[in-house]
Amino acid sequence: MGVLEHKFQDNIVVEKLDKLLGWARSTSPWYFQFGLACCAIEMMATAASRHDLERIGMMPRSSPRQADIMIVAGTVTMKMALRVKKLYEQMADPKYVIAMGSCATSGGPYWQHGYHVLKGVDLVVPVDVYVPGCPPRPEALIEGLLKLQEKIQKGRPLTKIDS
Amino acid sequence: MTDDRDKLISEVVEKALQGDMDAINNIEDRVIRSKAKAALHKAKKAAKAVESSASDANEDKTETSPKAEQTIHQKMAILIEEKESGSVISQEGEEEACIYIKPESWESLAPILRNDDAMDFDSLQCITGMDMGEGILESRYNFHSMKLRHAIEIRIAVPMEKPDIYSIEQIWRIGDWFEREVYDMYGIIFTGHRNLKRMLLPDDWEGWPLRKDYETPQSYHGITVPKVKEEWE
Repeated sequence: MGVLEHKFQDNIVVEKLDKLLGWARSTSPWYFQFGLACCAIEMMATAASRHDLERIGMMPRSSPRQADIMIVAGTVTMKMALRVKKLYEQMADPKYVIAMGSCATSGGPYWQHGYHVLKGVDLVVPVDVYVPGCPPRPEALIEGLLKLQEKIQKGRPLTKIDS
Repeated sequence: MTDDRDKLISEVVEKALQGDMDAINNIEDRVIRSKAKAALHKAKKAAKAVESSASDANEDKTETSPKAEQTIHQKMAILIEEKESGSVISQEGEEEACIYIKPESWESLAPILRNDDAMDFDSLQCITGMDMGEGILESRYNFHSMKLRHAIEIRIAVPMEKPDIYSIEQIWRIGDWFEREVYDMYGIIFTGHRNLKRMLLPDDWEGWPLRKDYETPQSYHGITVPKVKEEWE
């Protein structure tokens, strides 16, 4: 017989704090609104009324301090790479990154010859979800965001992980 | 019957051409009246065509004068040579029409192109940089005159060891960013430019990326740029 056993009435939910945190974090991940190239158009379309990201609790924030997700939408040049890194560092924990489109995942069409293009944003910031496409359709981006929500929900921020 | 009608129509059209529109308007039969009006329209059009073809013939006569046979580049090359003798190297490119100018004479020549009444190039449309290979860099200027409606291309070739070209940034203000971009990509130094720094690439970038001998750097600020892609794939 534990201390807490049968002490709660049935209008109180008993659940692991880990799961509660995961639920809270996953249902309103606000994303950082900055577009780098043509993928940004698709990101805007995703946020606009037809696809409506607010259905899944997401809205754009214009400051890295208020954002949880960074959607890297577009070609990251070397000049921008340093700034992307700086913006990522300014975001508050917990923070997640989505690499949207082939430029952000691997350099895309600039893979072979672009002297000025970063070959994948994962060289400067850790990426959680890659969304392929050039550019990906809004449905693809939503799929990626739902995958990220799943990932956040499964994350156990309080549990000690033996490595 | 039809002969009569045709006769009537031609009569009233003739009257209308002399200014008497009542003759047509007074015809009672609607069909004949509209036919007459159509015939009048046709007659007026024919008269106009005759006039314009006559004036065309006059214009043709003026165009066949010996001066107009020269291209704009030939004309401008002669004008430039008059103002600054010895400044024109050649007035023909390999494929496109252009004028090659000596880099030393560009400083005195540029204000003339801008201000001379016969040239009056008030608009600098574009500056192109080129690496011609064999250590030659080129800067190409496309000028256009809004007033005189003519356009030329000026080219200046400089050696890669000393790529100095006089800056026209204070003569055509748009040249500011054009020259900065050419400097950014080819490293052509525009002497006299008041703010000659990199435009698109970061300030600490090394090398001139659009030169033929440019080697992509292995890393930038610790970020690796993979050269051999096979290891990465």
